[in-house]
Formats: sequence, C-alpha cells, structure tokens
Amino acid sequence: MLIFKEIQLLPEIFLGISIIYLIIHGTFISVNNKYLLIQNSVLYLSVLIISLFCFLLINNTIECNDFQIFNNTIIIDYLGSFSKILIAIVSIFCFLMIQRYLTVQKINYFEYSVLILFALLGIFFICSSNDLITAYLAIELQSLSFYIMAALKKDSAFSVDAGLKYFILGAFSSSLFLFGSSILYGVSGTTNFEDLKNLFFWVYSSYDCTQDASDYTFVKDVFINGGLIQFALSFIFVSLLFKLAIAPFHLWSIDVYEGSPSSSTFFFAVVPKLAIFILLVRIFYSSFFEYTAKWRYYIVILAVLTIVVGSFAGLEQKKLKSLLAYSSISHMGYTLIAFSTGTFEGLQMLFCYLFLYMIAGLCIWSIFLMLQLKYKYVKKQNKDLADLSSLSKSNNILALFFSTVLLSIAGLPPMVGFLVKIGIFLVSIEVSMYFVSIVSILCSVISTFYYIRIVKIMFFENSTAGKLYQPIKSHISIVIVCLFYFLLFLFINPTLIYLFSYKITLLLTMTMM
Amino acid sequence: MIVNLFFYFFSFVLITSSLMTVFSQNSIYSVLFLVLSFVSSSSILFLLECEYVSLIFIIIYVGAIAVLFLFVVMMLDIKTISLVKDSLKYFPFGSFIGIAFLIEILLVVPSTFEAINPYNISFLCNFHLDWFNKLDYFTEIMSVGHLLYTDYLIQFLLSGNILLLATIGPVTLVLIRSIKTTKKQITFKQLSRTYNSVLYI
Repeated sequence: MLIFKEIQLLPEIFLGISIIYLIIHGTFISVNNKYLLIQNSVLYLSVLIISLFCFLLINNTIECNDFQIFNNTIIIDYLGSFSKILIAIVSIFCFLMIQRYLTVQKINYFEYSVLILFALLGIFFICSSNDLITAYLAIELQSLSFYIMAALKKDSAFSVDAGLKYFILGAFSSSLFLFGSSILYGVSGTTNFEDLKNLFFWVYSSYDCTQDASDYTFVKDVFINGGLIQFALSFIFVSLLFKLAIAPFHLWSIDVYEGSPSSSTFFFAVVPKLAIFILLVRIFYSSFFEYTAKWRYYIVILAVLTIVVGSFAGLEQKKLKSLLAYSSISHMGYTLIAFSTGTFEGLQMLFCYLFLYMIAGLCIWSIFLMLQLKYKYVKKQNKDLADLSSLSKSNNILALFFSTVLLSIAGLPPMVGFLVKIGIFLVSIEVSMYFVSIVSILCSVISTFYYIRIVKIMFFENSTAGKLYQPIKSHISIVIVCLFYFLLFLFINPTLIYLFSYKITLLLTMTMM
Repeated sequence: MIVNLFFYFFSFVLITSSLMTVFSQNSIYSVLFLVLSFVSSSSILFLLECEYVSLIFIIIYVGAIAVLFLFVVMMLDIKTISLVKDSLKYFPFGSFIGIAFLIEILLVVPSTFEAINPYNISFLCNFHLDWFNKLDYFTEIMSVGHLLYTDYLIQFLLSGNILLLATIGPVTLVLIRSIKTTKKQITFKQLSRTYNSVLYI
C-alpha cells in the first residue's frame, strides 16, 4: 500500500499504530486486575512514543523543497516537519510536567495520555495537511480529544461545564469551516490547496479584462469579482479564529481555560496554536493570497481588538489561570498583526513569535503546575493571585524563575520576549501600519501591569503568614531549570530562533511562486 | 417536470420543518421535525441521483442520531424556562447577525449563478446518448469505495481514528470507577415520565 515516496508519513503512521497498542495494553491490564492504576506508566510510555516519533521525524530527510503524497493531500515540507518536531518536544515536556498534577488530583485514567496522543496526532496532521478534507478531519481529531480532556475531572462541576462549553462552541466553529469549504468545493470543484493555488493565485494579474467578457460571465463572476469565494473564505477564517480565540470569538476560551483541569489547560494554551496558524498560512498565504489582500485591513482590526481585550480584561482578573488565558489571547493578537502584514518579514516574525510563545508558555505553565499549596483541600486548584504571596521567602529560586519568565512574556528589554515583540512592531511599521503599532505598543505597556503585579505579590507583599508549598521532585526541577536556561540562552543568542524562522519562510515563499 | 415539482415540494418541506425545529416549544416535537427535515433532504438527494448519500442520510441520521436525540431529550431533567424573557434578551443581536448573513448570501449567490452556461445554448451541445457509459459503469457505492481506498486512504484512516476516539471518550467520561461522586439516573423516575412534560424551552 505504501509506495516508497509515501514512507515520509511514517512518523504519523507510527504514532497512530502505537496509540492503538497503548489502548489495548491499558485496557487489558487495568480492567482485568480490579482497575490497576497504570496512569504513570502509560504517561512514560507516551513520552517514549513521542520521543520515537521525534526520532523518526528527524530522520525523515527532505531532499527537495516540498512534495506532496497521498494524492496530493499531504504536503511534506520544511515548515511542517520543523514545527512538528517543535510541537513534539514541547509535548514531551508537557507530559513530564503534568504527571504529578494528575497524581494529586486523582485523575487516574490511563485514557488521559491516550487522549493527549490523539490530539497530538491531529495536530501533526494539521501541520502537514494540503487539503480541506484532511484539514477538517485533523482539526476534528484534535478538538474532539480536547473536549474530552476538558471534561475529564468528573467530580468537578466546573470541569464538566468547561467541557460542554468547549464542545458546543467547537462544534459550531467546525460547522462554519465545513460550510465554507463546501462552498469552495461548489465553486472550484476541488478541495486541494495546490489546485486552488493554481486556480486562484494569479487571477488578478493574468486575466485581461479588456477582452470580450460575454463568454466568460461565470468565470468573471466567480473568479474576478470573487464574491462567493470571499464569502466562503470568511467562514473558514472565522472558524479558525474561533480555534485561536481571537477577540470577537474569544469568549469561550476564558471559561474553558479556567474550568478544565490545569494539565489540560496547559495543553490548550501551549500546543495547538502553531498548527492552526500553519493551516492559516497554507490557506491564506499560498492558496488565496490575492483574495485575502482585500480584507487584510479587517484582519488588522481584529488583531488590535484582540490585543485591547487581552490587555484590558486581564487587569481585572484575580485568578492566575484566567490571567494567563487573557495573556495568551493578547499574544494571539500580536501574531495576527504579523500575519496580516503579508510580507516576507511578517511571516518570519509570525513564526518567531509563535515559537517563542510556545517555549515561554511551556515555562510559565510548568511553573504554574509546580506551585501546589499544602492545603487540606487538595481539590482546590484554581489559584488566586494572593496564593503566590511571599513565594520568594519559601522558594526563592522558583520565584525568580517565574518573575523572569513573566517579564519575558511581557516584553521587557533584557529578555527574548522583547526581541520578538519589537520585531512585530517593526514589521507593522514597515508596511506603514503606524496607528496599529502605536495602539498595540500602548496596550503592551498596559498589559505589563498585570505581569508586574504578580512579581510584586511574589516579592514585596507584606503579609504576616506566607503560604507553604509542596516540595518539588528533583527531576522535575532539573527540567524547569533547563527550560529557564534555554530561555536565557535565546536572549543571548537569538540567532537560533531567527535562523529557523528565516529558513522556514524562505522555503515557504519559494514554493508559493 | 414532475421531478421539478417533487424538488420544490421537498425543498418546501425541508425549509418548513427546519424552521419548526427551531421554533417549536416542545423539544420532542423539535426532534420529530428534525427527522422530517432529514427525510426530505434525503429525498432531494434521491432526486439529484445521489442514492448512496441519501440512503446513508436515512440510515445514520434518522436511524441513529435522531433516536439518540430522543433518548437524550427524554433523559434531561430541565424544567420550564420562560421563553419570552430569554428570547427578548438575545433577539436584537441574534437577528442582526442572522439578517446580515442572509443579505450577504442573497447578494452573493444570485450574482454568481445568474449567467447561463454558454455551452448549453450553442450547437456544440448535442444530447447524444453515450451507450458505452450506459452499459459499463460503476454504481455509486462502488465509485465511493474506489475513491476511499485509493485516493483518500489517509483520510479514511483518520476518520477511523476519530471514530475510535469517539468511542473511547464517552466510555472514559461515564465509566464509574469511584463510587461516591458520579451522578446516576433514577430508573423509576426516568420511566414514570410522560412525553408532554419533558422539556419546554
């Protein structure tokens, strides 16, 4: 069945088969022996699976610029493979971090790691999909497992509420995607991005309008005016913005992030954004570039709205989790500015920002999961900001790490977050979006307030009694220290992240032509 | 002519029943109207000669999903909510969005498809019968199978994965492993309910 060319999809196939083996293994062991607790062993097994996936992916050499397999529905190129490697590494760290949280919370289902693996499979397929059907199926696989992950803490009403909310709104956005792609199929007769690119990429420049148009009325209406295509594209765009939680469509994200168990929130916030942006780039940069040029300004408006919402609504929050959710919303706004520029540098800064967002998000959420109070009620996990008071006295190094990562996300100058943020502002100034960049810089200043407030609570709060935290295991602390030093290293040597994003953008724009 | 009449009839039934699904007060009636809309849309598909899809529509949507809906509606224990207050709260914004999309569709779709296909009115178009095609052809289910197992192989596998996930997920969510916390249905209370007191939205 597999021709030798199609062996390039081996990592994904390996992942899928090993998921099924993992299910069989877990079911047989845990059900036979009176519900044996195999949560931890399955977690480590899935770390092993993802590491092997990474190994296979790195061994997949891409000889040519890009090529398409499985009837042109899967594209193998540098963008896809690099971001898949990054996502896999980030998710290995996620697995290591959430292990203790799951033990404390008594989420003793081995299905949890299986669900995460399913979500990862979906995300990897989104990264390399070259076809609307594949993209839809991959998004469904990813979000279906996310719904279940959100609702998995069964004894908590918040978690069930979050799962239901996520499910209904996610199904709504998926139906928008289906509607848009069905109209696209009705107009063009294809769902393949490559064919769509061949049909639509050169429409404006190549068609000679002075020619007698009487024979070409359908062609003129559909292709040149492009009303129906833009109608469909706007639906697809809106549904993907739903997944990214961009401002008018962000309302689900706060409740879902706050209600679902923290380990799932970790995943929702960090992992899937890059894959959705890759899909956006594939649709709107390579297939429908000419059509999106018209409504680039609306995307900019959405981006500014997102930044404003993320910055101002974050000021009100008293819970750490919802604060981080608003911070992730405003970050998506910055990336959307980079996306809307439509230039080479904009694309490069988009990938830069997303890579850094993932790494910094990994740091911040793993520290968040580390901070477990010595409560009598272990069930209470939604931290107030006041819970962090005088963390510097009980665990000075962790407080230092946390504040450094927060300042990096805020974009204070001696951190790597500053470099990518100023990159985005420079890019937007370069395409003369002066007003947009001024507004977003001001909002970035405002949003710095709530990051600094956490630092103030940790270091300078005058409370008589601080909180006590559970001790951290040594291997987890080693992982956190490594992540932190990697973030510091990225500031000293940011060439690494620039180089990779430059290479990705260069190869991507070469294939677009 | 008759095909056209049937087409209009079924479209009318489809539109009316989907409207009634939204507007009817008793949710049992809503589900039944939903079934009617599925049936009429599958008959439209029959008229368009897509037999496989329309049969699948009937088997899956009417046979499985609508029955499942009925079960869920009977199971939910929601009391009557005042309809007017809620609908007045959401009416302006919802109707604004709905009308905006409707106008957009009405502007875009007729302007795109108003042109007559120039090939149809030219002399190049002759209605000859292609006997070869008539004699030696794939049935629809065969061609669907051919496409699924060759060109769209990876999509087929992906949807299989989705189905696997869809079985694992609900089992994980409802499997009772710790006794004290999960909610259960009281069977007597469940069985003693009647259809007209179930769920008024």
